[in-house]
Amino acid sequence: MLRWIYKTLWLQKGPVLSSASGVAAAFVLVIALEAAFVGESNQIVGYIRHANADVWVMQKGVSNMHMATTFVWDWKVKRISELPGVKHATPILYVNTVVKAGGRNWFAYVIGLKPDGARAGPWAMTEGKPHPGAGQIVLPRVYADMAGIKIGDKAEIADKAFTIVGFSEQTFSMANSIAFVTFSDLEELLSISGTVSFILVDAQEGQDPRELAQRIEQQIDKVSAIPQERFIHNDFQIALLMGVEIVSFMTIIGSALAALIIAFTAYSQVARRRRELAIAKALGFKNQSLYLAIIMQTFIITGLALAMALLVSWVLLPAISAFVPQVTLAVTTASLIKMSLIALAVALLAALVPAHFVARVDPISSFKV
Amino acid sequence: MWRLAFRQLTHDWIRSLLTALAISAAIAVILILRGFEQGLYAQSEAVVLDRGGQLIVAQAGVSNFLAVRSSLPQLTRERVEAIDGVSLAHPITGFWVIYGPEGNKFPLLLLVYDTLGGPPPLIEGRSIEDGHDVIIDIGLSKKFDLKPGDPLVISDFEFRVAGITNHSSALFSTFAFVSYDGMIDLFLESEIAPDISTFPLLSFLLVDLEPGADRAGVMQAIEDQVPDVDVFTPQQLAQNDVALGKELFGPIMGVLISLSYMIGLLVIGLIVYADVSVRRHDYGVMKALGFRLSHIVRGVMVQTMMLMVFAFPIGVSVASLVAIGIEWRAPVYMVDVLEPLGLVHVLSGVIVMMILGGLLPLRLIARTDPVIAFQVE
Repeated sequence: MLRWIYKTLWLQKGPVLSSASGVAAAFVLVIALEAAFVGESNQIVGYIRHANADVWVMQKGVSNMHMATTFVWDWKVKRISELPGVKHATPILYVNTVVKAGGRNWFAYVIGLKPDGARAGPWAMTEGKPHPGAGQIVLPRVYADMAGIKIGDKAEIADKAFTIVGFSEQTFSMANSIAFVTFSDLEELLSISGTVSFILVDAQEGQDPRELAQRIEQQIDKVSAIPQERFIHNDFQIALLMGVEIVSFMTIIGSALAALIIAFTAYSQVARRRRELAIAKALGFKNQSLYLAIIMQTFIITGLALAMALLVSWVLLPAISAFVPQVTLAVTTASLIKMSLIALAVALLAALVPAHFVARVDPISSFKV
Repeated sequence: MWRLAFRQLTHDWIRSLLTALAISAAIAVILILRGFEQGLYAQSEAVVLDRGGQLIVAQAGVSNFLAVRSSLPQLTRERVEAIDGVSLAHPITGFWVIYGPEGNKFPLLLLVYDTLGGPPPLIEGRSIEDGHDVIIDIGLSKKFDLKPGDPLVISDFEFRVAGITNHSSALFSTFAFVSYDGMIDLFLESEIAPDISTFPLLSFLLVDLEPGADRAGVMQAIEDQVPDVDVFTPQQLAQNDVALGKELFGPIMGVLISLSYMIGLLVIGLIVYADVSVRRHDYGVMKALGFRLSHIVRGVMVQTMMLMVFAFPIGVSVASLVAIGIEWRAPVYMVDVLEPLGLVHVLSGVIVMMILGGLLPLRLIARTDPVIAFQVE
């Protein structure tokens, strides 16, 4: 039986390979769509991850950074820095807005840095200086690549012009790139004073961040204090949940497409071999054995397609990110495992139509020319 | 030629049906992705156009409505209304808040309005009567199972859902509408801000003109006489938001749509190739009967086109059904499958794919020996 399946597939290498390619492409599309949301979610938490504070302090009731608005009285920074277990407290001002440069507009997190707030600034630079002065701005390097801007050019936020003094690495995101300006420039832009958005708290050595977060919430009025890992998790989840339904629907339709392609190929194979099937039946092979053969055939095509899809996802998707810097695709193991399980279901589903055909083949037809 | 192609399709109808369905599914994937992209832009556009007003006044330097901070001084309204040709200037502001329980948080744009700029017609409930009332979008209603009368707690302040509207979503998030009283209550009674002035209390002015007023003239007069503002028509601001959306989503959607076209090409190529491969005996007979290669290739093309004529409307129907399913299940998304330009693009793409797919087995047909006509299959 196995040899018959193998020979059947081998004789039809072209259609089988092109079928597997079509199915693989459908799988890749599903993986890519999920990878886009995961990649973007990763980028969205990039700042939090790299700023790497032990505890993030913000306005009470707020528990994330992405699209959040938070304001805390600035005197609380000093109070927090004096608490036991706190090594250092760094305030930042933050707004989610549009940055214009080189004739193009981007959504961005704009971070306002205090003169002594370098630890909250960019962590990797391509060019220029990492810490902006008054009227200066540090932008993601990808902006320079896309808009042809360079050090010394102007960027605008609302009606305020800034001079570009540096380009940072790992700070670009489709939804929220990170731009750095001075704290006072951002205060002026927002027409506010006396408040900060977030306080990045570094704990003393040996201090448990969760205990420190609890202590801050107990002793400082009207703030939320969240350990780093929890804060990353919150933002990652909020970004990911925004695309969860569209990913689910595209997974369904991509899988349906894959099932149809495999069903078509398997059906074409058995339709061509109607006579062989009739002979097999005349020789005493039971329908169950033939069903098994068809299922194995769909499994082989699906397995081949899955292997191609995984390989392509592994190689092509990172390459896409490299060639299209605006796009960050992150393939996760969970996504690949999910795709494998879907492939299993697809293979079974695709076997239904040819199995129906096999059931209807009459052994008597083997004696007809 | 047409008859032969038609009979070849109807000879094995299960196979032809599977073929058409596979092509339809490939077309549907392309249409859904394109529709999703178009929906993103249409939502961004509608956010501005649905607010009303003939002109929109923003902070100087601000040229978008969505996801930007615009802050106008309180006196701006009075100054704008004093200009000849201006009938009324309606205030509107907005800020992002995060709603939802731990583990299921969702960004929400709280749009604050007074006399214009509120929600589109309600589909359930009633309009705002006091500061605790909020109108939410159906997307939020479905996501959190919220109905009129339910509480909506934001930063420990309890709003009450008064009504539910639709078409009030953009950028993967939804809007909630409250009155200025509601906003003040939220600021004063909740812990949302230590200082009320940290939030822009006036972001935009929606300007109604007097009958017969010259819109361009009034725009210029506002720019000249009111300091630190920029004036737009709603269409201009909407187009700026669409352009920003394209900057934001264009690259990733381009990659995904290109992938979906590639799948379409592979699917069609596979089907045509497999079909020709199966019918090599028939083509051998045709060659033995004196049919020329060009004639056979034309036959394959006609057959492919027939499949497309059948598959395209099915693909559009499948995509429309999936779009309805997505919008029903998650109204925060809009999937504009039937956008005419998008349909034309996809149809053109499919025709190109069909031609390329039809050419793929050319070599196979050319290599088919007429002698196989005399062999038993």
